[in-house]
Amino acid sequence: MKEKIDQLFQNEAQLPKMSSVVSKVMEMASKPDVVIADLAKEISKDPGLTAAVIKLSNSAYFRPSKPVKTVQESLMTLGIKTVREIILLNETKGILKKELKGYQVDGEANWLHSLIVAELAMRIAVQKKLKIDKDVVFTAGLLHNIGKVILSEFFPTVLMQFRTELQNYEGLYTELEAKFFGYTHQEAGAKLLTKWNFPEELIEVAKFYTEPEKAVHFPELVSVVHIANCIVLVGGMGIDIGGLRIPLSPKALQITGVTEGDLQMYYTLLPEMAKHIEELISV
Amino acid sequence: MLNKDVKIINVGIADIQSGQSPSVIRTTLGSCIGVVFYAPEKKVGAMAHIMLSKDSSGKDSAKNPFKYADTALPQLVKKMEELGCAKGEYYARLFGGASMFKGMNSSFLQNIGDLNVSVAKEFLDKEKITLLVEEVGGHEGRTISLYLDDGRILLKKGGFEKYLYKVR
Repeated sequence: MKEKIDQLFQNEAQLPKMSSVVSKVMEMASKPDVVIADLAKEISKDPGLTAAVIKLSNSAYFRPSKPVKTVQESLMTLGIKTVREIILLNETKGILKKELKGYQVDGEANWLHSLIVAELAMRIAVQKKLKIDKDVVFTAGLLHNIGKVILSEFFPTVLMQFRTELQNYEGLYTELEAKFFGYTHQEAGAKLLTKWNFPEELIEVAKFYTEPEKAVHFPELVSVVHIANCIVLVGGMGIDIGGLRIPLSPKALQITGVTEGDLQMYYTLLPEMAKHIEELISV
Repeated sequence: MLNKDVKIINVGIADIQSGQSPSVIRTTLGSCIGVVFYAPEKKVGAMAHIMLSKDSSGKDSAKNPFKYADTALPQLVKKMEELGCAKGEYYARLFGGASMFKGMNSSFLQNIGDLNVSVAKEFLDKEKITLLVEEVGGHEGRTISLYLDDGRILLKKGGFEKYLYKVR
Protein backbone atom coordinates (compact mmCIF):
# COMPACT_ATOMS: atom_id res chain seq x y z
CA MET A 1 0.00 0.00 0.00
CA LYS A 2 2.70 2.44 1.00
CA GLU A 3 4.42 1.92 -2.35
CA LYS A 4 1.18 2.68 -4.17
CA ILE A 5 0.76 5.92 -2.30
CA ASP A 6 4.41 6.83 -2.88
CA GLN A 7 3.86 6.21 -6.59
CA LEU A 8 0.82 8.45 -6.49
CA PHE A 9 2.86 11.27 -5.05
CA GLN A 10 5.53 10.77 -7.70
CA ASN A 11 3.09 10.63 -10.56
CA GLU A 12 1.47 14.01 -10.18
CA ALA A 13 -1.04 13.49 -12.96
CA GLN A 14 -3.26 11.53 -10.57
CA LEU A 15 -3.04 13.95 -7.67
CA PRO A 16 -5.57 16.70 -7.05
CA LYS A 17 -4.09 19.82 -8.62
CA MET A 18 -4.12 23.56 -8.09
CA SER A 19 -4.80 25.61 -11.21
CA SER A 20 -1.81 27.66 -12.36
CA VAL A 21 -3.72 30.94 -11.89
CA VAL A 22 -4.57 30.01 -8.31
CA SER A 23 -0.96 29.05 -7.52
CA LYS A 24 0.24 32.33 -8.97
CA VAL A 25 -2.35 34.35 -7.04
CA MET A 26 -1.44 32.54 -3.79
CA GLU A 27 2.21 33.35 -4.34
CA MET A 28 1.55 37.00 -5.19
CA ALA A 29 -0.90 37.51 -2.32
CA SER A 30 1.62 36.27 0.23
CA LYS A 31 4.06 39.07 -0.62
CA PRO A 32 3.76 42.22 1.49
CA ASP A 33 4.45 44.57 -1.42
CA VAL A 34 1.84 43.14 -3.80
CA VAL A 35 0.03 45.68 -5.99
CA ILE A 36 -3.75 45.26 -5.95
CA ALA A 37 -4.10 46.06 -9.66
CA ASP A 38 -1.58 43.32 -10.57
CA LEU A 39 -3.37 40.81 -8.40
CA ALA A 40 -6.73 41.75 -9.92
CA LYS A 41 -5.27 41.31 -13.39
CA GLU A 42 -3.95 37.84 -12.55
CA ILE A 43 -7.28 36.71 -11.08
CA SER A 44 -9.12 38.07 -14.14
CA LYS A 45 -7.20 35.65 -16.37
CA ASP A 46 -9.59 32.97 -15.16
CA PRO A 47 -13.24 33.84 -15.92
CA GLY A 48 -14.66 31.13 -13.64
CA LEU A 49 -12.50 32.29 -10.77
CA THR A 50 -13.44 35.93 -11.41
CA ALA A 51 -17.15 35.11 -11.30
CA ALA A 52 -16.69 33.09 -8.10
CA VAL A 53 -14.74 35.88 -6.38
CA ILE A 54 -17.42 38.46 -7.17
CA LYS A 55 -20.26 36.14 -6.20
CA LEU A 56 -18.71 35.06 -2.90
CA SER A 57 -17.60 38.60 -2.07
CA ASN A 58 -21.25 39.66 -2.14
CA SER A 59 -22.46 36.75 0.01
CA ALA A 60 -23.90 37.34 3.45
CA TYR A 61 -20.92 35.47 4.87
CA PHE A 62 -18.36 38.10 3.86
CA ARG A 63 -20.76 41.04 4.19
CA PRO A 64 -19.05 43.67 2.01
CA SER A 65 -19.65 47.29 3.08
CA LYS A 66 -20.93 48.02 -0.44
CA PRO A 67 -21.85 45.79 -3.40
CA VAL A 68 -18.80 44.42 -5.23
CA LYS A 69 -18.86 44.41 -9.04
CA THR A 70 -15.23 43.76 -10.01
CA VAL A 71 -12.28 41.79 -8.67
CA GLN A 72 -10.46 45.03 -7.95
CA GLU A 73 -13.40 46.29 -5.85
CA SER A 74 -13.46 42.99 -4.02
CA LEU A 75 -9.77 43.29 -3.15
CA MET A 76 -10.26 46.86 -1.94
CA THR A 77 -13.44 46.23 0.05
CA LEU A 78 -12.61 42.88 1.66
CA GLY A 79 -8.82 42.98 1.64
CA ILE A 80 -6.24 40.77 -0.03
CA LYS A 81 -6.25 38.11 2.71
CA THR A 82 -9.98 37.58 2.54
CA VAL A 83 -9.99 37.39 -1.26
CA ARG A 84 -7.16 34.86 -1.01
CA GLU A 85 -9.35 32.83 1.35
CA ILE A 86 -12.26 33.06 -1.13
CA ILE A 87 -10.06 31.83 -3.98
CA LEU A 88 -8.80 28.89 -1.97
CA LEU A 89 -12.31 28.03 -0.89
CA ASN A 90 -13.45 28.01 -4.49
CA GLU A 91 -10.47 25.98 -5.65
CA THR A 92 -10.60 23.29 -2.95
CA LYS A 93 -14.37 22.84 -3.13
CA GLY A 94 -14.04 20.26 -5.90
CA ILE A 95 -11.59 18.26 -3.79
CA LEU A 96 -13.27 18.57 -0.41
CA LYS A 97 -16.76 17.97 -1.76
CA LYS A 98 -15.76 14.48 -2.88
CA GLU A 99 -17.33 11.46 -1.28
CA LEU A 100 -14.91 9.79 1.16
CA LYS A 101 -15.97 6.29 0.16
CA GLY A 102 -13.85 4.23 2.49
CA TYR A 103 -14.59 6.54 5.39
CA GLN A 104 -18.36 6.35 4.85
CA VAL A 105 -18.73 10.13 4.57
CA ASP A 106 -20.60 11.64 1.63
CA GLY A 107 -19.34 14.67 -0.28
CA GLU A 108 -21.78 17.19 1.14
CA ALA A 109 -21.02 16.08 4.70
CA ASN A 110 -17.28 16.37 4.14
CA TRP A 111 -17.66 19.84 2.66
CA LEU A 112 -19.86 20.95 5.57
CA HIS A 113 -17.31 19.48 7.99
CA SER A 114 -14.41 21.35 6.38
CA LEU A 115 -16.23 24.68 6.32
CA ILE A 116 -17.60 24.44 9.81
CA VAL A 117 -14.22 23.47 11.29
CA ALA A 118 -12.79 26.52 9.47
CA GLU A 119 -15.50 28.81 10.85
CA LEU A 120 -15.35 27.45 14.40
CA ALA A 121 -11.53 27.54 14.51
CA MET A 122 -11.68 31.17 13.45
CA ARG A 123 -14.25 31.98 16.13
CA ILE A 124 -12.17 30.28 18.83
CA ALA A 125 -9.07 32.25 17.77
CA VAL A 126 -11.00 35.52 17.89
CA GLN A 127 -12.83 34.78 21.14
CA LYS A 128 -9.65 33.66 22.92
CA LYS A 129 -7.80 36.67 21.45
CA LEU A 130 -5.00 34.50 20.06
CA LYS A 131 -2.34 36.27 18.10
CA ILE A 132 -2.89 34.40 14.87
CA ASP A 133 -4.27 35.74 11.62
CA LYS A 134 -7.93 34.78 11.39
CA ASP A 135 -7.77 34.21 7.63
CA VAL A 136 -4.93 31.74 8.14
CA VAL A 137 -7.00 29.98 10.81
CA PHE A 138 -9.93 29.70 8.38
CA THR A 139 -7.75 28.21 5.64
CA ALA A 140 -6.01 25.84 8.03
CA GLY A 141 -9.39 24.63 9.26
CA LEU A 142 -10.65 24.22 5.73
CA LEU A 143 -7.73 22.01 4.67
CA HIS A 144 -7.01 20.10 7.89
CA ASN A 145 -8.11 16.65 6.74
CA ILE A 146 -7.51 16.93 3.00
CA GLY A 147 -5.33 13.78 3.19
CA LYS A 148 -8.47 11.69 3.66
CA VAL A 149 -9.32 12.39 0.02
CA ILE A 150 -6.06 10.71 -1.01
CA LEU A 151 -6.36 7.64 1.22
CA SER A 152 -10.05 7.31 0.44
CA GLU A 153 -9.15 6.39 -3.12
CA PHE A 154 -7.30 3.35 -1.81
CA PHE A 155 -9.85 2.18 0.72
CA PRO A 156 -12.20 0.02 -1.36
CA THR A 157 -9.66 -2.74 -1.92
CA VAL A 158 -8.73 -3.20 1.72
CA LEU A 159 -12.02 -2.13 3.21
CA MET A 160 -13.38 -5.43 4.47
CA GLN A 161 -10.20 -6.26 6.37
CA PHE A 162 -9.95 -2.73 7.67
CA ARG A 163 -13.54 -2.79 8.96
CA THR A 164 -13.12 -6.14 10.67
CA GLU A 165 -10.03 -4.97 12.49
CA LEU A 166 -11.68 -1.68 13.41
CA GLN A 167 -14.48 -3.48 15.26
CA ASN A 168 -12.26 -4.71 18.07
CA TYR A 169 -9.72 -1.94 17.92
CA GLU A 170 -9.41 0.32 20.93
CA GLY A 171 -6.35 2.34 19.93
CA LEU A 172 -5.93 5.43 17.82
CA TYR A 173 -7.64 5.26 14.46
CA THR A 174 -4.67 6.83 12.73
CA GLU A 175 -2.43 3.99 13.91
CA LEU A 176 -4.69 1.65 12.03
CA GLU A 177 -4.48 3.84 8.93
CA ALA A 178 -0.70 3.69 9.10
CA LYS A 179 -0.85 -0.10 9.41
CA PHE A 180 -3.07 -0.51 6.35
CA PHE A 181 -1.77 2.25 4.10
CA GLY A 182 1.74 2.92 5.26
CA TYR A 183 0.59 6.49 5.83
CA THR A 184 -1.84 8.24 8.08
CA HIS A 185 -4.22 10.67 6.39
CA GLN A 186 -2.38 13.44 8.25
CA GLU A 187 0.91 12.48 6.56
CA ALA A 188 -0.82 12.22 3.19
CA GLY A 189 -2.41 15.65 3.66
CA ALA A 190 0.88 17.24 4.64
CA LYS A 191 2.54 15.69 1.59
CA LEU A 192 -0.14 17.04 -0.72
CA LEU A 193 0.07 20.57 0.70
CA THR A 194 3.85 20.43 0.39
CA LYS A 195 3.43 19.47 -3.28
CA TRP A 196 1.23 22.52 -3.69
CA ASN A 197 3.92 24.73 -2.13
CA PHE A 198 1.57 25.80 0.62
CA PRO A 199 2.82 27.76 3.63
CA GLU A 200 4.42 25.82 6.44
CA GLU A 201 1.71 26.57 8.99
CA LEU A 202 -0.97 24.88 6.87
CA ILE A 203 1.25 21.83 6.42
CA GLU A 204 1.84 21.59 10.17
CA VAL A 205 -1.91 21.74 10.86
CA ALA A 206 -2.61 18.92 8.37
CA LYS A 207 0.19 16.88 9.93
CA PHE A 208 -0.61 17.28 13.61
CA TYR A 209 -4.24 18.31 13.99
CA THR A 210 -5.04 15.07 15.82
CA GLU A 211 -1.91 15.27 17.99
CA PRO A 212 -1.40 18.99 18.64
CA GLU A 213 1.19 18.33 21.33
CA LYS A 214 3.59 17.38 18.53
CA ALA A 215 3.32 20.76 16.77
CA VAL A 216 6.69 22.50 16.86
CA HIS A 217 6.34 25.81 15.01
CA PHE A 218 2.65 26.75 15.19
CA PRO A 219 1.24 25.11 18.34
CA GLU A 220 -1.55 27.70 18.79
CA LEU A 221 -2.86 27.32 15.25
CA VAL A 222 -2.69 23.52 15.35
CA SER A 223 -4.43 23.47 18.76
CA VAL A 224 -7.28 25.70 17.61
CA VAL A 225 -8.00 23.49 14.59
CA HIS A 226 -7.70 20.38 16.78
CA ILE A 227 -10.32 21.64 19.22
CA ALA A 228 -12.67 22.82 16.45
CA ASN A 229 -12.41 19.42 14.74
CA CYS A 230 -13.25 17.54 17.97
CA ILE A 231 -16.32 19.66 18.66
CA VAL A 232 -17.62 19.41 15.10
CA LEU A 233 -17.22 15.61 15.22
CA VAL A 234 -19.14 15.41 18.50
CA GLY A 235 -21.88 17.27 16.61
CA GLY A 236 -21.81 14.43 14.06
CA MET A 237 -20.78 16.58 11.09
CA GLY A 238 -18.37 14.69 8.86
CA ILE A 239 -18.05 11.89 11.40
CA ASP A 240 -16.41 8.90 9.71
CA ILE A 241 -16.03 5.17 10.36
CA GLY A 242 -13.40 5.98 12.97
CA GLY A 243 -16.15 7.63 14.97
CA LEU A 244 -15.13 9.69 17.95
CA ARG A 245 -11.77 8.09 18.48
CA ILE A 246 -9.71 11.27 18.51
CA PRO A 247 -9.11 12.25 22.13
CA LEU A 248 -9.29 15.95 22.94
CA SER A 249 -5.79 17.06 23.88
CA PRO A 250 -5.36 18.68 27.33
CA LYS A 251 -2.29 20.46 25.96
CA ALA A 252 -4.37 22.09 23.21
CA LEU A 253 -6.85 23.38 25.79
CA GLN A 254 -3.98 24.74 27.84
CA ILE A 255 -2.27 26.45 24.89
CA THR A 256 -5.44 28.17 23.71
CA GLY A 257 -6.97 28.83 27.13
CA VAL A 258 -10.21 27.13 26.08
CA THR A 259 -12.23 26.24 29.18
CA GLU A 260 -14.96 23.68 29.84
CA GLY A 261 -17.50 26.51 29.60
CA ASP A 262 -16.09 27.58 26.23
CA LEU A 263 -16.39 24.02 24.88
CA GLN A 264 -20.03 23.95 25.89
CA MET A 265 -20.67 27.30 24.22
CA TYR A 266 -18.91 26.33 20.97
CA TYR A 267 -20.87 23.07 20.78
CA THR A 268 -24.16 24.83 21.42
CA LEU A 269 -23.40 27.34 18.66
CA LEU A 270 -22.94 24.70 15.93
CA PRO A 271 -26.44 25.02 14.40
CA GLU A 272 -26.13 28.81 14.12
CA MET A 273 -22.69 28.41 12.54
CA ALA A 274 -24.03 25.88 10.06
CA LYS A 275 -26.66 28.46 9.10
CA HIS A 276 -24.01 31.15 8.76
CA ILE A 277 -22.00 29.11 6.27
CA GLU A 278 -25.05 27.96 4.30
CA GLU A 279 -24.22 30.25 1.40
CA LEU A 280 -20.64 29.00 1.22
CA ILE A 281 -21.86 25.39 1.17
CA SER A 282 -24.19 26.01 -1.75
CA VAL A 283 -21.49 27.63 -3.90
CA MET B 1 -31.69 0.61 -4.02
CA LEU B 2 -33.34 3.98 -4.02
CA ASN B 3 -35.89 4.83 -6.66
CA LYS B 4 -35.07 8.15 -8.31
CA ASP B 5 -38.50 9.58 -7.50
CA VAL B 6 -38.00 9.01 -3.80
CA LYS B 7 -37.47 12.26 -1.97
CA ILE B 8 -34.69 12.37 0.62
CA ILE B 9 -35.40 14.69 3.50
CA ASN B 10 -32.28 15.67 5.41
CA VAL B 11 -32.55 16.52 9.07
CA GLY B 12 -29.93 19.06 10.06
CA ILE B 13 -28.41 19.51 13.48
CA ALA B 14 -31.08 20.77 15.95
CA ASP B 15 -33.86 20.18 13.47
CA ILE B 16 -37.15 18.27 13.11
CA GLN B 17 -38.49 16.95 9.81
CA SER B 18 -41.44 14.79 8.87
CA GLY B 19 -42.80 13.09 5.78
CA GLN B 20 -44.89 10.36 4.23
CA SER B 21 -44.34 7.29 2.07
CA PRO B 22 -42.28 6.87 -0.10
CA SER B 23 -39.90 9.60 1.15
CA VAL B 24 -36.79 8.86 3.19
CA ILE B 25 -35.75 10.91 6.23
CA ARG B 26 -32.04 10.92 6.99
CA THR B 27 -29.59 12.30 9.55
CA THR B 28 -26.06 11.76 10.90
CA LEU B 29 -25.44 11.64 14.64
CA GLY B 30 -22.43 11.92 16.93
CA SER B 31 -23.32 12.69 20.52
CA CYS B 32 -26.65 14.01 19.33
CA ILE B 33 -29.67 11.71 19.41
CA GLY B 34 -32.11 10.92 16.67
CA VAL B 35 -35.62 10.21 17.91
CA VAL B 36 -37.77 8.52 15.28
CA PHE B 37 -41.57 8.26 15.37
CA TYR B 38 -43.31 6.10 12.78
CA ALA B 39 -46.97 5.22 12.29
CA PRO B 40 -47.07 1.93 10.34
CA GLU B 41 -50.77 2.13 9.36
CA LYS B 42 -50.56 5.63 7.90
CA LYS B 43 -46.94 5.30 6.68
CA VAL B 44 -45.94 8.68 8.04
CA GLY B 45 -43.16 9.60 10.40
CA ALA B 46 -41.01 12.30 11.94
CA MET B 47 -37.43 12.57 13.14
CA ALA B 48 -35.76 14.91 15.63
CA HIS B 49 -32.00 15.55 15.73
CA ILE B 50 -31.38 16.72 19.30
CA MET B 51 -28.07 18.13 20.59
CA LEU B 52 -28.49 18.47 24.34
CA SER B 53 -30.76 17.21 27.11
CA LYS B 54 -31.73 20.65 28.33
CA ASP B 55 -30.85 24.31 28.10
CA SER B 56 -28.57 25.22 30.98
CA SER B 57 -28.70 28.93 30.13
CA GLY B 58 -32.49 28.88 30.12
CA LYS B 59 -32.56 31.46 27.33
CA ASP B 60 -31.59 29.59 24.17
CA SER B 61 -34.40 27.02 24.17
CA ALA B 62 -37.08 29.65 23.55
CA LYS B 63 -35.26 30.62 20.36
CA ASN B 64 -34.02 27.16 19.37
CA PRO B 65 -36.42 24.59 20.85
CA PHE B 66 -35.23 21.76 18.58
CA LYS B 67 -31.74 21.84 20.09
CA TYR B 68 -32.86 20.49 23.46
CA ALA B 69 -34.64 17.24 24.29
CA ASP B 70 -37.04 18.73 26.81
CA THR B 71 -38.36 21.27 24.30
CA ALA B 72 -37.92 19.32 21.04
CA LEU B 73 -39.71 16.10 22.02
CA PRO B 74 -43.11 17.75 22.74
CA GLN B 75 -42.73 19.37 19.30
CA LEU B 76 -42.10 15.96 17.76
CA VAL B 77 -45.34 14.69 19.33
CA LYS B 78 -47.11 17.74 17.92
CA LYS B 79 -45.66 17.00 14.49
CA MET B 80 -47.23 13.52 14.58
CA GLU B 81 -50.58 15.10 15.54
CA GLU B 82 -50.29 17.38 12.52
CA LEU B 83 -49.75 14.28 10.40
CA GLY B 84 -53.03 12.95 11.78
CA CYS B 85 -51.57 10.48 14.28
CA ALA B 86 -52.82 10.15 17.83
CA LYS B 87 -50.70 8.54 20.51
CA GLY B 88 -50.80 4.77 20.20
CA GLU B 89 -50.68 4.95 16.40
CA TYR B 90 -46.94 5.49 16.31
CA TYR B 91 -43.89 3.99 17.99
CA ALA B 92 -40.45 5.33 18.87
CA ARG B 93 -36.89 4.30 18.00
CA LEU B 94 -33.78 5.93 19.40
CA PHE B 95 -30.25 6.35 17.94
CA GLY B 96 -26.98 8.16 18.58
CA GLY B 97 -25.72 9.48 21.89
CA ALA B 98 -22.13 8.37 21.30
CA SER B 99 -19.43 9.69 23.58
CA MET B 100 -15.87 10.87 23.03
CA PHE B 101 -12.93 8.55 23.35
CA LYS B 102 -12.19 7.37 26.87
CA GLY B 103 -10.09 9.68 29.00
CA MET B 104 -11.59 12.79 27.45
CA ASN B 105 -10.49 16.04 28.92
CA SER B 106 -13.94 17.53 29.11
CA SER B 107 -16.71 16.07 31.22
CA PHE B 108 -19.15 18.15 29.19
CA LEU B 109 -18.24 16.65 25.80
CA GLN B 110 -17.86 13.21 27.40
CA ASN B 111 -21.33 13.12 28.91
CA ILE B 112 -23.56 14.78 26.32
CA GLY B 113 -24.51 11.48 24.69
CA ASP B 114 -25.54 9.61 27.84
CA LEU B 115 -27.56 12.55 29.13
CA ASN B 116 -29.38 12.89 25.83
CA VAL B 117 -30.32 9.22 25.85
CA SER B 118 -31.58 9.19 29.43
CA VAL B 119 -33.70 12.34 29.04
CA ALA B 120 -35.26 11.01 25.84
CA LYS B 121 -36.13 7.72 27.53
CA GLU B 122 -37.70 9.51 30.49
CA PHE B 123 -39.86 11.51 28.12
CA LEU B 124 -41.05 8.45 26.18
CA ASP B 125 -41.81 6.70 29.45
CA LYS B 126 -43.79 9.59 30.83
CA GLU B 127 -45.72 10.06 27.58
CA LYS B 128 -46.31 6.29 27.28
CA ILE B 129 -44.83 6.11 23.78
CA THR B 130 -43.45 2.62 23.20
CA LEU B 131 -39.71 2.47 22.54
CA LEU B 132 -39.23 -0.37 20.05
CA VAL B 133 -35.54 -0.23 19.16
CA GLU B 134 -32.49 1.57 20.47
CA GLU B 135 -28.93 1.72 19.16
CA VAL B 136 -27.12 4.18 21.38
CA GLY B 137 -23.78 4.92 23.05
CA GLY B 138 -20.32 3.77 22.00
CA HIS B 139 -17.74 5.91 20.25
CA GLU B 140 -19.04 5.80 16.71
CA GLY B 141 -21.17 8.11 14.66
CA ARG B 142 -24.34 6.81 13.03
CA THR B 143 -26.23 7.72 9.89
CA ILE B 144 -29.87 6.68 10.01
CA SER B 145 -32.34 6.65 7.14
CA LEU B 146 -36.04 6.11 7.79
CA TYR B 147 -37.83 4.62 4.78
CA LEU B 148 -41.40 5.78 5.14
CA ASP B 149 -42.83 3.15 2.77
CA ASP B 150 -42.49 0.43 5.42
CA GLY B 151 -40.73 2.15 8.31
CA ARG B 152 -37.48 0.24 8.10
CA ILE B 153 -34.30 2.01 9.18
CA LEU B 154 -30.93 1.76 7.47
CA LEU B 155 -28.24 2.20 10.09
CA LYS B 156 -24.66 2.97 9.03
CA LYS B 157 -22.03 2.76 11.71
CA GLY B 158 -18.32 2.03 11.95
CA GLY B 159 -18.04 0.87 8.35
CA PHE B 160 -21.06 -1.43 8.52
CA GLU B 161 -24.65 -1.02 7.50
CA LYS B 162 -27.77 -2.93 8.40
CA TYR B 163 -31.54 -2.67 8.12
CA LEU B 164 -33.75 -2.62 11.19
CA TYR B 165 -37.28 -3.74 10.34
CA LYS B 166 -39.12 -3.67 13.65
CA VAL B 167 -41.81 -0.96 13.38
CA ARG B 168 -44.50 -2.05 15.85
